[in-house]
Amino acid sequence: MKRDVVIIGSGLGGLVCAFVLSRMGRSVLVLEKERQPGGCLQSYRRRGWNFDTGFHYVGGLAEGQSLHAAFDYLGLLSLPWHRLDPASERIRIGERMFSLMQGYEAFADTLSAQFPSQRKALSEYVALLAQTNRSSADVLNPRAEVTDWGTSLWGTGAYAYLMNTFHDAELVDALSGASLKMELKRDSLPLFTFLHGNGSYVESSWRLRGDGSLLVDALVRGIRSQGGEVLCGSEVTKLSEANGRLAYACCANGECYEADTFICDAHPAVACRLVEQSRLLRNVYRSRIARLENTSGMFTLALRLKPRTFPYVNWNQYIYREPGVWSAADAEVPAGGGLMVSCRVPQEGNAYAEQIDLLTPMPWSVCRMWQDTEPGRRGEAYAAMKADWAEACLTLAEECFPGLRSMIAEQYTSTPLTYAHYTYSPQGSAYGVRKDFRNPLQTVLSARTPIPNLLLTGQSLMLHGLQGVTMTALFTCAALVGKEKVWSEVFLREP
Amino acid sequence: MTREDIIKTVNSALAEEFEVEENILDPEANIKETLSLDSLSLVDLVALIQQTYKVKIPVADLPSIQTFNNLYDYIEAHLPK
Repeated sequence: MKRDVVIIGSGLGGLVCAFVLSRMGRSVLVLEKERQPGGCLQSYRRRGWNFDTGFHYVGGLAEGQSLHAAFDYLGLLSLPWHRLDPASERIRIGERMFSLMQGYEAFADTLSAQFPSQRKALSEYVALLAQTNRSSADVLNPRAEVTDWGTSLWGTGAYAYLMNTFHDAELVDALSGASLKMELKRDSLPLFTFLHGNGSYVESSWRLRGDGSLLVDALVRGIRSQGGEVLCGSEVTKLSEANGRLAYACCANGECYEADTFICDAHPAVACRLVEQSRLLRNVYRSRIARLENTSGMFTLALRLKPRTFPYVNWNQYIYREPGVWSAADAEVPAGGGLMVSCRVPQEGNAYAEQIDLLTPMPWSVCRMWQDTEPGRRGEAYAAMKADWAEACLTLAEECFPGLRSMIAEQYTSTPLTYAHYTYSPQGSAYGVRKDFRNPLQTVLSARTPIPNLLLTGQSLMLHGLQGVTMTALFTCAALVGKEKVWSEVFLREP
Repeated sequence: MTREDIIKTVNSALAEEFEVEENILDPEANIKETLSLDSLSLVDLVALIQQTYKVKIPVADLPSIQTFNNLYDYIEAHLPK
């Protein structure tokens, strides 16, 4: 049986494509190598508790905000969302504390109180965030005015922009302190990525009461109810051609699936690897993709807490040992890249947190020596390294939450090696391909590939994060069905 | 690097990476037609030249590069000294 579309990988990008295309009446099959769908959104279960991997919070869900229309269309607005406190991002850098508020005015006002001479510059900055949020879907809007606004933001360095705008390293640290959701690299991060990565959270910030699998389950249910299929335990090992077109996705279990179009939601390097032979996928494309650098990965310390020990905090706490948030990203020192403390919303009626995740950037150089080992068999030195990093995370976390160590019932860790194993993200990269403002043409990839019926999606293309991957998936769908169709289905829908 | 060196290495890289025979690379032939380039693979060409020669071709300069001779000229003029 030939499908209209076969999608390789069931991360958020793959699932959103499957949902949109099945809703449009296409026959869609998603093939996932793992036992459960979700990619970076999947959760894992230990002793009856679910732990998150890549998902922690999301921005822009309220009416009229940047993710509202898409999540409404995807049937995700009815999940148990829980809005964070107005001061949703709290940042401690050395001894100094800063708060980033939800709402553009509150955001600028609160920082202006600490940096009175910067009021005008802060107003301009939030205006830029607002413009970014407003125009996030414009690429899909057939009637949107074509400007080079976005192009100029891709070609501008975020760090240089912030320094030139504020001339104040402390304020730049404060504005960037909640940006563990991207790779804060001075010589590569485009302003576009920085604004997109932060903007929707200033609109509004939300956690789920529950884990990321709620999102995955809702999307899979939706896809199936629209006639689509999601098959787990089906690792695609080869994409092969017939009559000059890609025709089959063949899996490790011997099954082959025929389709008109293929969408790869794995890293673009994986897509190139799957197409063993093709007159269309020439060396020049393969080498360009192979040369792309990847963003760094994450170390996560997931804690389950003893009952009634840690009052739930309804905000994200970020902690840096010392000023210089932008130079911290490459740190090989445990937790030297700063720490994010993310509290899971407890069950209804419980004022105490049950689970907390501590996250810190971990460069691949720390993991490289174990790259050829398998999970559970990486040896004692690896366990010791993880223990060092866990210890450093806890020490940093206790600067804001004293006594946290004594509240731990159990703890689990994951490293970039974990991601590399489960999601095939090269070097366990947390945000995919590194976009570079010095070279946006080559680092911001198109959904199209040299093979006309092979499209790409996922965090390595335009934008990463929950909002970014959702929008990118809509762009991928637009490459197949036309942007007018996607625009009218998703954004002009009757409520 | 002399112009002859540039022609030799460019042609060899193009043949290898675009998977074509070197003898079809006529200096006055149109690059896009000869290598069957669309807008997407034009990016590949720019990336290849940048990787091989550290010469970055801005989008604005692309229209001036039509033939292989144009490309050799451009590289020759912009090679890091």
